[in-house]
Amino acid sequence: MPRPDRKTITFSIDGREVEAPEGTMLVDAAKLGDVEIPVFCYEPKLGAPVGACRMCLVEIEGIPKLQAGCATPVKDGMVVHTQTDKVRAAQNSVVEFLLVNHPLDCPVCDKGGECPLQDITFGWGRGRSRVVEPKRHFEKPLALSPLIAIDRERCILCYRCVRFSQEVSEDYQLVLQERGSESFVATFDGHPYVAPFSGNIIELCPVGALTSQPYRFRARPWDIEQSGSVCNLCPGQCNVSYTVRDDRVLRVLARDHHEVDDGWLCDRGRFAYQAMHVDERITAPMVRDGGVLREVTWERALEEAAKALGRAKGAVGAIAGGSTTNEEGFLLQRLVRETLGSPHVDSRASGALPIGLHAALSAPATQATVPDVEFAHAVLVLDTELVDDMPILDLRVRKGVRRNRVKLAVATSRPSSLDANAKAVARFAPGAGEAFVAALEAAIAGSPIGELAAAAGAEEDAVTAVADLLREAGEDVVIVWGERLTHGPRAVQAAQALLKVSSRLNPNPHPGAGLLEVPAGANARGLREVGVLPGIGPGLTEAAPGLDTPGIAAAAANGELPALYFLHTDPLRDLPDRATWQRALDRASTVIAHGAFLTEGLREFATVVFPTEAPAAKEGTLTHTDGRLQRMRQAIGHPGDSRSEWQVLAELSKRLGDDLQLFTAPMVYAQVVDSVPFYAGISLDDIGGVGVRWPAREAASAWPAGESAPVGLEAPAAAASPNGKLRVGTFRSVWAAPEVEASPALKFLAPKQRAELAPSDAARLGIGHGEHVLVGGVPAVAHLRTGTPEGTVFLEEGIEAAPAAAITDPLAEVTKA
Amino acid sequence: MTWHPGDDVVEVLRGPKPGGPGGVYRAFGETLRGLKTTFARIPEGPTTIQYPEEKVPVYPRFRGRHRLHRFEDTGLEKCVGCSLCAAACPSDCIRVVAAENTPEHRVSAGERYAAVYEINLSRCIFCGYCEVACPFDAITLGHDFEMSDYHRSDLIFTKEMLLTEPLERTPLRAEGE
Ligand code: SF4
Ligand code: SF4
Ligand code: SF4
Ligand code: SF4
Ligand code: FES
Repeated sequence: MPRPDRKTITFSIDGREVEAPEGTMLVDAAKLGDVEIPVFCYEPKLGAPVGACRMCLVEIEGIPKLQAGCATPVKDGMVVHTQTDKVRAAQNSVVEFLLVNHPLDCPVCDKGGECPLQDITFGWGRGRSRVVEPKRHFEKPLALSPLIAIDRERCILCYRCVRFSQEVSEDYQLVLQERGSESFVATFDGHPYVAPFSGNIIELCPVGALTSQPYRFRARPWDIEQSGSVCNLCPGQCNVSYTVRDDRVLRVLARDHHEVDDGWLCDRGRFAYQAMHVDERITAPMVRDGGVLREVTWERALEEAAKALGRAKGAVGAIAGGSTTNEEGFLLQRLVRETLGSPHVDSRASGALPIGLHAALSAPATQATVPDVEFAHAVLVLDTELVDDMPILDLRVRKGVRRNRVKLAVATSRPSSLDANAKAVARFAPGAGEAFVAALEAAIAGSPIGELAAAAGAEEDAVTAVADLLREAGEDVVIVWGERLTHGPRAVQAAQALLKVSSRLNPNPHPGAGLLEVPAGANARGLREVGVLPGIGPGLTEAAPGLDTPGIAAAAANGELPALYFLHTDPLRDLPDRATWQRALDRASTVIAHGAFLTEGLREFATVVFPTEAPAAKEGTLTHTDGRLQRMRQAIGHPGDSRSEWQVLAELSKRLGDDLQLFTAPMVYAQVVDSVPFYAGISLDDIGGVGVRWPAREAASAWPAGESAPVGLEAPAAAASPNGKLRVGTFRSVWAAPEVEASPALKFLAPKQRAELAPSDAARLGIGHGEHVLVGGVPAVAHLRTGTPEGTVFLEEGIEAAPAAAITDPLAEVTKA
Repeated sequence: MTWHPGDDVVEVLRGPKPGGPGGVYRAFGETLRGLKTTFARIPEGPTTIQYPEEKVPVYPRFRGRHRLHRFEDTGLEKCVGCSLCAAACPSDCIRVVAAENTPEHRVSAGERYAAVYEINLSRCIFCGYCEVACPFDAITLGHDFEMSDYHRSDLIFTKEMLLTEPLERTPLRAEGE
């Protein structure tokens, strides 16, 4: 549904004439006139108001009884009073009633000092209670999950947490049991509330009933400082606020940004902060010395790195991981390209695309934004599992479907958690994205699709259903596509097919519709724009052709690239084709890596390791996938004499004879802006706390012209036919990350390798749920999942103990271990 | 230059002019008047208190060095580590880091306890706000005022120091004294 057009109306509150958009709830409209109406249960982010707590009672002229301000939309000419005796008496009584069963154990309650119940009792309460009866008692505190503690005595039954679980994250786990004053919040059968977004209920609870286990008793509001930044763990780039005490991050809160995260966070973003302060974290540079990595001084590490790079001039391969900032990416490509004269830099796992395709896929004219997902007529989720790849967008899609009746189509290989919300679902064979998109294109055009659908391993009817839904929904169609689609050797053809679908669905590009990529790395878009791509320099300009990531691996394995530079990525963990990488790392004489943890590749092969700053210690900019430049701000200091990573990169350049004259992070940013024409004129102050979408500015005209899709598509590569074996698909769970394994609170979620199988396949192979199996030699636990397409097995990426990247064949045999 | 008070002053009192009988009176008369008080006190003997051998007793509500208290029956600490004292303190000299009681390791009566409780006495202004803020009467200001030390860091009193009785008790002023 397109965004509603709201009229402005005038109403009067406490004698003031206030203008507000029609239909706004009174409590929100009152704020426009600087009148505060206290609320507990009202939270617009949760959807329609429920009017559960009655704290917001107001008097409206012409209505004899007091009305709930949170559930009464304002109307033209309404006369509202919030300061009459009647209202005050009601407010007093509501507070008194809320406290009938409330233990008032503020001194031991974690919410103390930042508690709406304290504030409202102080501001709108009677000051004393007449209730002498005993209060209800529950066992407390209990663990609702390993991350959340629940104290049922403190609950004021506002329903916020339950509504979140039922209507926002739609995990349907939290419920209110019993009736009346006996009600309590629980999961259906006492099972722990483990869900990807569970932490949000901690922030939602207006009392101390739901508190964070890792933050429990760590600090009071007056002990801490809040410091805004941006989460760099996934492409969602949620706006966060770090709670800092004694130079340690103790908590992460959401910093509501409607156009980025809608005020929610996933549990990884919320709890992985713990990994910033664990002992395993690398805090000092290391050099391999006699076969073992040893901590050394900065001087020595920089000297060794500079010398080794200097020796390998012209033959250095560099790969930047997704959490790299624009500044670091810019300096890396500058170091490798200009100082070392080697064109081999990349930031994508595989599948090099020409400038024209990059330009067309992210063209400002067809760039959909995050809020567009919520207001489109139809949304197609293509080859991405949002809850794993960009969790926060999953909530946005659900919101659009639930509240704005957006029509959702899902087309993935692996069953998606959004299937239940979708009007049309299509499955295709893993790796056959190109064929599927070609089939979809043909279906939208009305051509026969039999052959194409077969090549994609998809059912013809499903493809047609998706095509019909998209074609008939309306003019605003947003395609949310996963970067995975353009990985692999047929990347170019897949991108062209996607562009063709896009131009068929949106023949006249207009705001509110278009393409929205779900990249594989948190700052993938920024890295592309600052030139961390083979053959593409800053600002998507031509550069000397170089090798892409698989090319670098192959060249290094053949001994052609003696030096490798990894910024925030461990190829053995993050990149496909493990065998080649193993040989490459073994063969290279110099492996320089920036990392936070000694993961396998670093532990075994790195010759120089520089510590990655904790996200909260980082200063830099990121570019969101919809083109929003955002700023990471430093919240804590660097431990010891640690340096920023941009300083390391600048220092290496300097030692290699290319002094860039960089002394502060903003100076690096200034150089980035100078080299990227479409960022022109955006200062750090402009970015500020909410970011700037560069595609919406005039300088966006400097974006290069996109390659228009070819008229006809060539025949796509067909998915391998199973032929007795199973097709192997991979996915990367939101929890498969070193910072999850390192966070004491999140550790329990760190995934183990599992093989997702269709029950029918499992029956054929005689494998039961939970049995140990070998998938092409990789050990895993069988996980039977209905909905998994027959003939396919899915493995998880990014698991060190059982790496899915060891399998390079599209087919594998599954045997009992 | 003589000072001229202006027209709106009704009357100016001036001492006798120097020289003459007025001068003589000022040199001897006033001095003798003062000495009269001095000589009148001689029979009372010296009243100097020989600190530190001898200590001035303090009033019951004198605010000296803090004490943290335990419950007499259970021996558990009264402080639950709520940090309210730290919030009330105008000189920001209290630092509380709380932790959770476990059945095996129970320190206070509530859910939480103060794992770290420090008062920087070199900053404290002995206002007693912490005592007023404490919901459990866990902290009170005692009577000791002898806290000087050789190192500033020794003036940061830890929880253990605050929980123990002071070595020497400061005498309390008796009723009517
Ligand atoms: S636990 Fe908190 S959010 Fe949930 S109903 Fe109770 S008071 Fe509301
Ligand atoms: S959704 Fe992504 S960006 Fe948002 S908090 Fe989670 S990891 Fe961070
Ligand atoms: S007496 Fe006053 S200044 Fe001293 S610790 Fe207590 S509140 Fe702070
Ligand atoms: S002394 Fe009292 S106010 Fe201070 S932390 Fe302990 S219980 Fe709270
Ligand atoms: S805020 Fe209106 S009823 Fe709860």
